[in-house]
Amino acid sequence: MSPMLRQRKSISVLLAILMMLIAILSGCTKPSSSTDSSNVSTPAKTASSEAPASGGTKSNEKITLRMTVWGAPEEVAAYKVAIAKFEKKFPNITVNLQHIPTDYDTKLTAMVAGNDVPDIAQMESASIAYPLAEQGKFYNLQDFLASDSEINTGRLVPNISYSLEPGNIIGLGPGPESFALFYNEDIFKDAGLTPPPSKASEAWTWDQFVDVAKKLTIDTKGRNANDPAFDPKSIKQYGVNFGTWWGSYSNFIYSNNGDFVSEDGKTFALNQPAAVEAIQKIADLINVHHVAPSPVQAKNIPATNVALQTKKVAMAIDGQWVSAGLAQSKFHYNVGALPVMKKPMTTVVCGMFSIFKSTKHPKEAWELMKALMDPDAAIDMITAGTWMPSYRDWYTDPALLAKWTEKLDSRPSGYKDAVVNVLLNSSHQTPTGYVKNFNKIMDVVNPALDKVWLGQQSAKDAMDSIAEKAQSQVQGRRDVKG
Amino acid sequence: MRTSKLTLTAGYTALLLISALFIIPFVWLVRSSLMDLSQIFIMPPEWIPSPFHWDNFYRALTIVPFGTFFTNTIVIVVSVIVGTVITSSIAAFGFSRIQWKGRDTVFGILMSSMMLPAAVTLIPSFLGWKILGFYDTYYPLIVPAYFGGGIFNIFLLRQFYLTIPRDFDEAAFVDGATYFQIYLRIILPLSRSVLIVVTLFSFLGTWNDFMGPLIYLKSDKLYTLALGLQMFQGSYTAQWDLLMAASATVVLPCVIVFLIGQRYFLEGITLTGLKG
Amino acid sequence: MRKRLFYGLLFTSPAILGFIIFTLGPMIASFVLSLTDYNVFREQTAFVGLDNYIKLFSGEDDLFYKSLGITFYFVILRVPAVIIISFVIALLLNMNVKGRAVFRTIIYLPSIVPAVASAMIWMWLLNPDLGLVNSFLSTLHLPTSNWLYAEGSVIPSVVLTTLWGIGGTVIIFLAGLSGIPKQYYESIDVDGGGWYSKLRHITIPMVTPTIFFNTIMTIIGSFQVFNEAYILTQGGPNNQSLFYVYYLWRTAFRDTQMGYASALAWVLFLIILFFTFIVFKSSKSWVYYEGGERT
Repeated sequence: MSPMLRQRKSISVLLAILMMLIAILSGCTKPSSSTDSSNVSTPAKTASSEAPASGGTKSNEKITLRMTVWGAPEEVAAYKVAIAKFEKKFPNITVNLQHIPTDYDTKLTAMVAGNDVPDIAQMESASIAYPLAEQGKFYNLQDFLASDSEINTGRLVPNISYSLEPGNIIGLGPGPESFALFYNEDIFKDAGLTPPPSKASEAWTWDQFVDVAKKLTIDTKGRNANDPAFDPKSIKQYGVNFGTWWGSYSNFIYSNNGDFVSEDGKTFALNQPAAVEAIQKIADLINVHHVAPSPVQAKNIPATNVALQTKKVAMAIDGQWVSAGLAQSKFHYNVGALPVMKKPMTTVVCGMFSIFKSTKHPKEAWELMKALMDPDAAIDMITAGTWMPSYRDWYTDPALLAKWTEKLDSRPSGYKDAVVNVLLNSSHQTPTGYVKNFNKIMDVVNPALDKVWLGQQSAKDAMDSIAEKAQSQVQGRRDVKG
Repeated sequence: MRTSKLTLTAGYTALLLISALFIIPFVWLVRSSLMDLSQIFIMPPEWIPSPFHWDNFYRALTIVPFGTFFTNTIVIVVSVIVGTVITSSIAAFGFSRIQWKGRDTVFGILMSSMMLPAAVTLIPSFLGWKILGFYDTYYPLIVPAYFGGGIFNIFLLRQFYLTIPRDFDEAAFVDGATYFQIYLRIILPLSRSVLIVVTLFSFLGTWNDFMGPLIYLKSDKLYTLALGLQMFQGSYTAQWDLLMAASATVVLPCVIVFLIGQRYFLEGITLTGLKG
Repeated sequence: MRKRLFYGLLFTSPAILGFIIFTLGPMIASFVLSLTDYNVFREQTAFVGLDNYIKLFSGEDDLFYKSLGITFYFVILRVPAVIIISFVIALLLNMNVKGRAVFRTIIYLPSIVPAVASAMIWMWLLNPDLGLVNSFLSTLHLPTSNWLYAEGSVIPSVVLTTLWGIGGTVIIFLAGLSGIPKQYYESIDVDGGGWYSKLRHITIPMVTPTIFFNTIMTIIGSFQVFNEAYILTQGGPNNQSLFYVYYLWRTAFRDTQMGYASALAWVLFLIILFFTFIVFKSSKSWVYYEGGERT
């Protein structure tokens, strides 16, 4: 073959490749959305609106708001209900709901880096809510609350607002979650024992709790934990199931008058006697009394509703969101107040919604926020048991209270006392909401706690050993000025 | 290859044992997909669902728009496979059958792209595509396939090409063939097994990739199957029964593709007609 | 000479272009970021020079050396295990037995089953009290272990859990085995040699290019282990499974310290590059290419 022909063949290779590229770049499916995809020259602007003018409260201009959420399909459905109601009330506003199915923080971080920020975003205080807030990315909702006629801080249930510092509220939770003592009624009946009281004022002391747990911890030969021949290596039924994450044990640190950091926020406090005692008592449940599974055995224990139903555990200390699962499992369960160390207490955990400062429509975003917090919109999730309402009057007004606690599988007889009243009267904010640099402090604490739960070290020794390192990570509290 | 009966039996037994071990995850997946949520995590595990929840499949596939996700995924996967097979084999040819100055250095530089953890190039890559105007499109997911399809595939093909005797090429040159003809008529046919492997890996990698779609897409009507699977995670619990049913469905095409593809792994080629 | 350069570049141009357009930019960007205190959410970013690197190496961040050591241990355990086991399984799957297709599919299945399914099962199998593995060991009167829940055994346990995912490596070996001409084996038969002879004199030498590939890829992949920490262990117990890339990801996306995380990434990059380079260089002495190359 002549050199000429050879050249032509290679040129045709080049051309083929080139044509392929052109075909792909022009012919590939390019969907019709995103009007802002080519805003290279315009300065940082969010994808939130197509309106010609910005601002303006009530007007006939078409406004689009964008919000990001995570969650399972039913949760997303609940948000859609709230959005539908909102869009009906404000016909000129459309809400674009973006569901981020996984790795929410990574995705949102990428979006912020790319200046593609929503108007409202669901946030978690344990992850990137505060890093964002500290860079001034969120509106101070205090201003909105102060001037709003429909809701203000008084109308909300305690501990669902998140502040960067006193007076600067950066997020509001659409519904709190608290902890309680769930149990299998049949196990108590069969053992002839009185179940845990539901009223916080009558709650068991820690020792009473341990005592009952021991009677209800049974090995494969039918002996309970009080029996001298009891075999802790072959336990069939545990007295109580207890998660070893900060949500669970924080309840008891607070109940024992302890805390993660001191009142002025300057000192690490998990090595103080109050906290150490609480942690040690919990660890003793596992290693001394053998009434709770160790982290090793805990992997055998399925979700609370299954564990209780199959009598793997007699009681479980868990968040009230398990009510949904419990409601669907058909067995006799009930809920009691958490055992008290020094005073009744529950930690309140929940996500939040925040409004980005870059939004072009803060007032409309605020209205959307209110719609998301409205218990009526989320009523299906609330009656199913997964969520709780955010408005105080839903807990105090008998008619409203009845709407979500009466005649429901998810709300057994003990619920009102053990959960509702405790939330109103003896609840504490989640440590992630007020301890600055919480994650880095816990990076130091958690490995030491691993040893305590496994019975390898006492709580005091473990906390003392890391106290200095933890102290170096302490940066103050958010509920204290300065 | 003539192997003794003893060897065969021993080998067969070994295969049975190993397969029994390896099939456990799949069995767990299928049995969970047919179970009630309350049964899935009982320890020790129950292997037979009671009752059989066939409705898990119906619910899982309708609660979330899997039909759309399926079509989307097919579009992306097919585009990627075509681009990857063509461009990676061409590039690998260039890195193995042609001797040119600096070839191995360039290859080494390209290899380095696999050595930097993706976490830190995620945001720069995302910003790059966004500036080009391709945010919320499939371009970031498809176009790179037409530019070599990933150094992994090029490396894999290169290794295989290097095992093919040079005699073929030399004979062809003598006959006046161009590089491209050698590529097309000699190398490609001889590397059928490994090309099938590249196709398979491309298919699976793209089918199951959720990070790419997560970062580069924002409209949920563009989402893929892999992203759809992630949707069953709730704030406090996941809907395991539906998740398992959906996963089993999503895995099925992969199994089928694999069964078809593995048929092409011949055991040994014959070199008759070498000098032809 | 020049013609070969031209064609060489021509054929590899898509890949080179792709690298320049899609990869080089972000790589350079992340390197530059590693010299700053970049926090994604903050407006200003300051250039801090080598401060990040100094911080890592000085030991101020004790998790750096810790996670590096843990990851090294993991790599050293995993690479030989994966290569040997995959090779043996591939040899078995290459035999002309009935139902070969089914066996191959079954062995590949765990790599395509969702990670969470495999994770759940391993947690059950390796459960110290109820798990199959310990029950099996104790019936044979062998010592049991706490597997994933004890500091000493967590890394070997994680290595064990990754062995289900070797399907891909096995497939690549299979493809490599399929490229060995039958005649070579027949010549051993003629000489009266058995399976060991065939293995040692034909199979292994002919398959060294594939061993080379799988070794490099397994090294690169093992250094970047992430999912197991993310799904199974969360770095515990007591930080004993805090793999490097998990630590990196946490720094980047939970602590939002992207500049520092980029420095971490580049240190790992250099480490992986170093080891890959060593294996490449050593390949001249043990990899046999029938095409007559020496690299």
